[in-house]
Amino acid sequence: MAFIDYYEVLGIKREASAETIKKQYRKLARKYHPDLNPNNPEAEQKFKQINEAHEVLSDPEKRKKYDEYGKDWQHAEEFEKAKKTRGSGGFSGYTYSGGDSGDFSDFFESMFGGAAGFGRRQKVRFRGQDYHTELQLPLMEVYTTHKRTLTVNHKKIRLTIPAGIEDGQTIKITGHGGPGIEGGPAGDLYITFAITNNTAFKREGTNLYKTVLIPLTKAVLGGEIVVETLSGKVKLQVKPGTQNGTKVKLKGKGFPKYKKEGQFGDLLLTYEVHIPTQLTDKQKSLFEALQQTHLA
Amino acid sequence: MNPKRYISIKTFCKYHRVEESFVHYMHEYELVRIVFEQGEAFLHDDELPVLEKMVRLHQELHINPEGLHAVHQLLQHVEALQQEVGRLRRKLNRFEG
Repeated sequence: MAFIDYYEVLGIKREASAETIKKQYRKLARKYHPDLNPNNPEAEQKFKQINEAHEVLSDPEKRKKYDEYGKDWQHAEEFEKAKKTRGSGGFSGYTYSGGDSGDFSDFFESMFGGAAGFGRRQKVRFRGQDYHTELQLPLMEVYTTHKRTLTVNHKKIRLTIPAGIEDGQTIKITGHGGPGIEGGPAGDLYITFAITNNTAFKREGTNLYKTVLIPLTKAVLGGEIVVETLSGKVKLQVKPGTQNGTKVKLKGKGFPKYKKEGQFGDLLLTYEVHIPTQLTDKQKSLFEALQQTHLA
Repeated sequence: MNPKRYISIKTFCKYHRVEESFVHYMHEYELVRIVFEQGEAFLHDDELPVLEKMVRLHQELHINPEGLHAVHQLLQHVEALQQEVGRLRRKLNRFEG
């Protein structure tokens, strides 16, 4: 347990007036208030320190005790006993029970015991802290709705992951956050999904995109090709004279729509005509023969 | 209306020691929605986290309702940007990894 210089925490001089303490506290509290600094644990920590410093320095009795013992706080109890023995009164009568003592440093606890939480609210029920976590899943795992068991803060949670969940999407699991204080309700658990995609498909919302290589001969003469989709193989007819970059839409062969069972986006194929680079002598002579026909 | 999911504004205000007009201001600024049932105003429990946050900012930092409206909008921007940064960071990790 280290000594905490509350004056330094608030950035004020030791002889600062009550008004200065209040002003400086408000200034810093506005800057570091956890509600104004979402997902910023450093700000939350700083806010607790500021709050603790204010708790002590704004109370004339606590400030007196703190100023009197300062760095010798560890011996404060002995000093207190000695004073009592001499009949000089002392600092009995501190009854700061209730409130969230977890918001205060060991130094504070040791010197002043527990205390009320922010805003001096005592025996008030607080909603528990919200938890945020990230769950990484491959694309194929969110192609169908499935159940999964997660361990969050040593607790197992079984949840249904609906098909079609988006990369970066956050879902709320009510009541699975931190426990409430003084009987308050538990916070919520927020899970943000990070969807990894190592498939040949590019996903944009519910639509999927894929580039399909087609042989030059099929592009010129037409023919059947087989294309892999997420739901299986499909046969497609390539029209004669198909140009490089031709786009084909397969309705309903895309990704499932989130929480809309049985509904899917589209699969958009882009044909890339494969130009052969290694020709046999026979193939080469056929191309040369073609060239002689002045084929455009 | 499922009564388990609604809380009367009177109860909320008594519990948090806040004037009812405060909740109505928050409703006016579209920070929370109020449902009226037989002449009494209720909040859906989904609205509680936002409203409780506004009560804390009001009571602890003395921010007035107009200020809270501005704060709420800016916080929404901050959270959207944080999500965007997280999304881009994950994307970058995939390219780097």
